[in-house]
Amino acid sequence: MFDGPARDVGIFVAACVCGVASGLFGIGGGTLLVPFLALFFSFGQHRAQGTSLIALIPPTGALAFFAYAKAGYVSWQTGLLLVPGVFVGGIVGGWLAKRLPPRRMRQAFAGMMLVLGIWQAVSAWAR
Amino acid sequence: MTLIVLLLGLVVGVLVGLLGIGGGVVMVPALVYLLHMDQHLAQGTSLLILLPPVGLGALRQYWKQDQVDLRSGILCALGMLVGGYLGGFIAVPLASRQLKGLFGCFLILAAFLLWRKPQAENRTTVSPGGESLRV
Repeated sequence: MFDGPARDVGIFVAACVCGVASGLFGIGGGTLLVPFLALFFSFGQHRAQGTSLIALIPPTGALAFFAYAKAGYVSWQTGLLLVPGVFVGGIVGGWLAKRLPPRRMRQAFAGMMLVLGIWQAVSAWAR
Repeated sequence: MTLIVLLLGLVVGVLVGLLGIGGGVVMVPALVYLLHMDQHLAQGTSLLILLPPVGLGALRQYWKQDQVDLRSGILCALGMLVGGYLGGFIAVPLASRQLKGLFGCFLILAAFLLWRKPQAENRTTVSPGGESLRV
């Protein structure tokens, strides 16, 4: 879609949008960054995922995190207890993924997220 | 209580490794509904979990297959740092209820993006085991 410096600027702007979502919703941002790179900058799926991973190695959420921490919106105890589980679980999940049909799993999970999203939106606003 | 939290981390981690998606998308609703956290507290805690480089092991796999665009990656990191500050700036003063609703809308969008991903993969040269890597 773009070339040269325009492409660099485009990628930077797209990443800014992902960053806003990351800070706004307390997530990593890869969920948006991967499809952005694939759709707008003609990255292959694997290259998009690899590039998203390297973008997530430095603590890019640090500034957003400080904003939450300053307002007292961080549960340190729970957070620190969750880290080892996520790490070990990630390894188990990677191992499991080789033994299960990933497309079905992903679609089942997307369905679950859709239901969860509707539930959250409805429970927040329908009153 | 401690046991529940440790188990929750494990379950979220399995989903992350299995589906190649960010942990925060799962972590925030889990904290809200299972641990009854306020929406802001859940999001702040999720950001805390994402501070260490949890994707490092996965990145190694991609690096070995030369599937990393370093220059774009650095640009993205800078963009996300700036954007993240802006997002936190917007989220903190919002009412918890509004933030919860917005998060719900974002989950719906993320569900569509996740569904779309397998189709896009057909057009690229897929390497064996690539599905298991997380984003």
